[in-house]
Amino acid sequence: MKKRTLQRGLSTFWWVTIVFLYLPLLVVMLFSFNASNSAANFTGFSLRWYERLLGNEQIISAFWNSLVLAIVSSVMALVIGCLIGYGMYRHRHRKLGWLIVLIYLPIVLPDIVFGISEMAFFVSIHRHTGLLQPGLGTMIIAHVTFQIPFVALIVYSRLVGLDATLFEAAKDLYATPFKRAVHFLMPTLKPALISAFFLSFTLSIDDFVISFFTAGPESATLPIYIWGAIKKGVSPEINAIATLMIGAVAIAAVLSLMFNRKGRY
Amino acid sequence: MADMSLVVRGRAVVSETRHLLFSVMPGAVWIIVFLVLPSVYLMAVAFMTNGPYGQPQMPLSLESFRQLAGFGFLGWSPGNLYTLLRSLWQTLLSTVLVVIVAYPIAYYITTCREKWRPIMLLVVVVPSWTNQVIRTFGWMNLLAPGTPLSDAAQALGLIAPNMGLYPSNFAVTLGLVYNFLPFMVLPLYAAFEKLDTAQVQAAQDLYASPVRAFWHAVFPQTLPGLLAGTVLVAIPAFGMYVIPELLGGGKGMMLGNLVANQFAGSANWPLGAAGAILMLIATFAGLFAMRRIGKRLGGGEEVVI
Repeated sequence: MKKRTLQRGLSTFWWVTIVFLYLPLLVVMLFSFNASNSAANFTGFSLRWYERLLGNEQIISAFWNSLVLAIVSSVMALVIGCLIGYGMYRHRHRKLGWLIVLIYLPIVLPDIVFGISEMAFFVSIHRHTGLLQPGLGTMIIAHVTFQIPFVALIVYSRLVGLDATLFEAAKDLYATPFKRAVHFLMPTLKPALISAFFLSFTLSIDDFVISFFTAGPESATLPIYIWGAIKKGVSPEINAIATLMIGAVAIAAVLSLMFNRKGRY
Repeated sequence: MADMSLVVRGRAVVSETRHLLFSVMPGAVWIIVFLVLPSVYLMAVAFMTNGPYGQPQMPLSLESFRQLAGFGFLGWSPGNLYTLLRSLWQTLLSTVLVVIVAYPIAYYITTCREKWRPIMLLVVVVPSWTNQVIRTFGWMNLLAPGTPLSDAAQALGLIAPNMGLYPSNFAVTLGLVYNFLPFMVLPLYAAFEKLDTAQVQAAQDLYASPVRAFWHAVFPQTLPGLLAGTVLVAIPAFGMYVIPELLGGGKGMMLGNLVANQFAGSANWPLGAAGAILMLIATFAGLFAMRRIGKRLGGGEEVVI
């Protein structure tokens, strides 16, 4: 009897928490269809804010910046991170403490410290050499830096989960390291790589602070645009962009999960 | 013969080392050049003097740390100290609240049917995949003046008429709890899933009260998860920028805002860098403390983030 009360209480608490977690997102989505520009009263259904998005050049440009940034940085991080992950696995019996520290550094560093140190660094380099002008390039560099560890750790954990004798068998089967990579390593790692790519992509789209500090005047991404719009005074268009972004990230995340699962079982 | 094998082995070692270098080097160099060097540069900036345009200059000095402690042209002012204390308080408060909410949630998930559990975890985590700015904006919509929540708070006399629940310190705490809840639920769930229920049964058989049973049989077993969660919540909460900036207003500023402002509006890089050093010290002290506690409790390996 007592146990049932406890279970019922927990279940109620669960649903309250779920409402708490989804309420802000639902409000944003609901008001993106609001006919008036009130943030407090829903007056009727309309798609006018979405129509307005399409006519806003700044938003279109921010969208492309976000997309280019996410794709380019994810691909670069995939190549570099995959190499590290493989190196960590191959040489896991050595003392690689320095490498572990290096890989965890981007993860543990507070975003704001990460962002401003890169900004200060880029600005100083630019002043002295003319290189690394703040813009999409510097943002890509910064994003790759925080994506590498996640790719490396995913690849590493996938390799550790494999039977070590598989590597011996592959060595016997395929003479050259190149053939081994193409016929054994790549197919084995494919699910891990796809999931790492989607995770990197999501991390990039998700990031605001690091982008904000490494961006140039022309390279605003969607979160940076939204931030500016909020700071200037709430515009209902934000709800519409935000709704589209919620949808996009949800799709990417579900895809990543699906691939990850296929790889495991 | 022996010499031959030595040569071969020597060559193998060399090629292994080369392999290590080629696989690991691009990434290692990347992180060193684009993160370690910038961080070292930032630390150096903290010991420079602020130039007329907010750019760091020689000579070296400790002026920025004096400013961080609150000493300015007009003598000492408590503003920065308040900001620091507020950051500590908000971190502590939100971490405790997150723990209080996450414990029952993590436990509840383990009591549900096995096939539902991954989905339930997913449901908890999905909101945190949305951009932080958007989530915080969602709370601005919910807490603004004229919304049902603000009206209710007015009716209860919690806030002045015609005011909203944001900007306020309350809104910042709420935003932090909202933001970090999943990071506590996941490690706690992992701990609960491994829980040895025989110990709980034994405690109950020995007529332990539910509180005592929890404290002696459940709590120690979930401690590694709790510590991992605390690292994941408290460290980023202390350096939070977006939430206090949007939900806190001038009186809700935290250390992250103080640091960021020195690089944006008021332009005093050395002061900002000094604040960043403080944040780094707090981060590594927190990590170190958690590792120590984790090791002492024997669950050291699990407290890895």
